[in-house]
Amino acid sequence: MGRRPKTTLVRALVLAAICIVLFKFILLPVRVSGVSMAPTYRDHSVNFINALSYLRNEPQRGDVVGIRLTPGGFGSTPRVMYLKRIVGLPGKTVSFSDGHVIINGKSLDEPYEKAACNWNIPPDVLGPTQYYVVGDNRTMPAINHSFGKVERSRIVGKVVL
Amino acid sequence: MKIAIRIALAAVVALAAFWLWGVLFPNPEHVIRKRLTEAAQAASFAPGAGYISKLAGAQRFADFFATNAEASIDAGGQEQHHLSGREEIFQTALNARVAMNNLTVSFPEVSIAIGPDKESATADLTAEAKTSGASDMFIEEMKFTFRKFGRDWLITRVETVQTLQRGGQ
Repeated sequence: MGRRPKTTLVRALVLAAICIVLFKFILLPVRVSGVSMAPTYRDHSVNFINALSYLRNEPQRGDVVGIRLTPGGFGSTPRVMYLKRIVGLPGKTVSFSDGHVIINGKSLDEPYEKAACNWNIPPDVLGPTQYYVVGDNRTMPAINHSFGKVERSRIVGKVVL
Repeated sequence: MKIAIRIALAAVVALAAFWLWGVLFPNPEHVIRKRLTEAAQAASFAPGAGYISKLAGAQRFADFFATNAEASIDAGGQEQHHLSGREEIFQTALNARVAMNNLTVSFPEVSIAIGPDKESATADLTAEAKTSGASDMFIEEMKFTFRKFGRDWLITRVETVQTLQRGGQ
């Protein structure tokens, strides 16, 4: 405890409070489960979601985001999230042709996409509050991959690392 | 000193009354949360159970459902399942116990809305299921509908919710 135990105790309490606030409401720790974001994020790797990343800015194409499964009220912290990459922004038309993401008729350049993919998905028009998300690993059949439109309210924040 | 004792006694009586009120008139949300936790435990099973144990476990799980309950499970990459009635749910639970070695089910996130009539409720939740040998955990958003029968809250409908929707859904 040192020579000033009261000061040490106060410091420890402040540090604990900061950690609780930081990791419960701001930087949400996540452990990746599954291979849908490989090779960018590997199975069992640990990361953080910045819950404040979209306070002033809206999500952008290319962002990897945490998506909550259960609708929650303001301030509720999700314990389980999908980790996906945004490829389509609100109002855009998204489709897949021979594995390529097509936005409003133009092929999207995806440098993070390493493996071949043969998905063909018909065009889907996004609503004013909808984003189109998909994992980086598209080597499996499309039916085995969770992807598609998601409401803005479900996007928790952006992956930090 | 007497005043302090009286205040302490009054506090104890108030706490006891509060506890008793909770026991006699439980908050429906708390009851449903407890039912969901128990249902997840009943859906889970350990390896090495005998047939009688599997039968009892499946029955215990089916008892959480109303007789006319319906289940519509559309998990990604899997065949869509529609179950109708407690008996069919019991049979499916029993078949799962026979076919699989073990299963662990949990509901880590639950959001409950009680209906205006206080006799019905919906629970939006995240379901996690894991069986040994499977590489990935099953994670799905689900919606449970409850109805109050007497003092019991029974599940009348279970359905999967597609968090990420594709065209036409």
